[in-house]
Amino acid sequence: MPLLDDDRLVFRFPEIDEDASFEIDFQRTLRIPDTDRDYPLPPGFGRFPLEHVEDHPALPEHTRRRGGVLLPMWQAEAMWLNFNHRGERLPVAVKVAAGKINAVTGEPWTTPLNRDPQDYVVCPEQPWLDGFAVEPGVIRQFVAMPLGVGYSAEEQLTGEAEWGGLQISVTPLKQDVWERIRSRENRSVRFGINPALQERGDMGFGAGGRMRQEICVDRRKLADWDQRATQRVFVTLWHASQWRDLTGRPAPTEPPLAKDYADAGLPWFEYYGRGSEAAPGSERLRGLVGPHIFEKIFEKNAGASLSESKDVETGEPTPIGPGAPGPRQIKSPSGKL
Amino acid sequence: MQRTSHRSGFGSHLRALRMARAEEGGGFSLRHLAARCGVTAPYLSRLERDEVAPPSEAVLRRLAQELGEDEDVLLAMGGKISSDLHAAILARPKLFAELIRSLRDMPEHAVLRLMREVRDGDW
Repeated sequence: MPLLDDDRLVFRFPEIDEDASFEIDFQRTLRIPDTDRDYPLPPGFGRFPLEHVEDHPALPEHTRRRGGVLLPMWQAEAMWLNFNHRGERLPVAVKVAAGKINAVTGEPWTTPLNRDPQDYVVCPEQPWLDGFAVEPGVIRQFVAMPLGVGYSAEEQLTGEAEWGGLQISVTPLKQDVWERIRSRENRSVRFGINPALQERGDMGFGAGGRMRQEICVDRRKLADWDQRATQRVFVTLWHASQWRDLTGRPAPTEPPLAKDYADAGLPWFEYYGRGSEAAPGSERLRGLVGPHIFEKIFEKNAGASLSESKDVETGEPTPIGPGAPGPRQIKSPSGKL
Repeated sequence: MQRTSHRSGFGSHLRALRMARAEEGGGFSLRHLAARCGVTAPYLSRLERDEVAPPSEAVLRRLAQELGEDEDVLLAMGGKISSDLHAAILARPKLFAELIRSLRDMPEHAVLRLMREVRDGDW
């Protein structure tokens, strides 16, 4: 099982390669407008804090049973997953689901890796993942939604608000396949490529604004992956406004402010700032339901109206993902906004 | 003029990392990397030649992020210890001093076995 080190999940596979480790951290970012336009990349604000679920006896029993880690998140935040290798770059297949809805295919979570369609990303080819893949080359951003009000991808696709959070599995290449690759390549350099209405505190992910991001096609054989060595983790999202109730400590991060949005050239909506209410804007993978429909759902459920998401003037979209120039900028490792 | 060398090894490691990243893609000239890390290109060049003392923790972290190096490794090479580790040791100095001394000569695989794993549950 992974280790938790400095707000990163660290996956090691010593039986395959003692010098290889793969890390996932969760980067804080701003929500881009939920419209049909492709937006440039919003700035990163460092890692989301992570804590062991088992250290929090006040969590509901069903949450504690899932194990894994706890991540406090504000309504005004979005997230991207940052993938890094340390030491030898042992390739890994990473499955990511939100509310047990696969972020690549929109299908319910299954344990094995699948092809046709490929339901995982491959690293080091894939340096990060910002949201749900909705069409080739386009993702919809992971944005926080309180569970139980109907906006999370899980609720829209299954009608249930059972799981929320993020589910991740990491599967390494088989040792013999890895040995063959290493013998072909000169691997003298050893470092990573570094190239997201109610009292419930648990949250899920809805699909927010659009960004250009490719999901890399796996060019290996499915049989090359060592699925006996798969490690997995459940990431419970907890509303940061309710962090003190849960832990007795203040929230470890400050919520983004309207000014942070203005500085990034992004629009700010009032509902971002309200602790326990939902935002409009999730869309079913491959979207059948647009933001205006969400507003109606929100009015029905919450008896309140919300602003529609609007486009704003920005520069040229920044290409992200494999092949993008330079590394992705992060303002601080774990600092406040 | 005699030049003082600071922590030989740090600068050459920094340079090796930067050159390797430059081979993989653009954006890793002295000027580009320095700009992203909030320092000047001449200063970065002097760091790479060990002509000045390693930079602050914040700059070391920034360099590590940009270069894909482990932050703790680059901090250690720069003769620093992460402020969160520093605070943890100061909060319970006797306990952590004993712990670190007891683990000092233990092989890496044995230390790794002591680290706490993220428990997986039912889902």
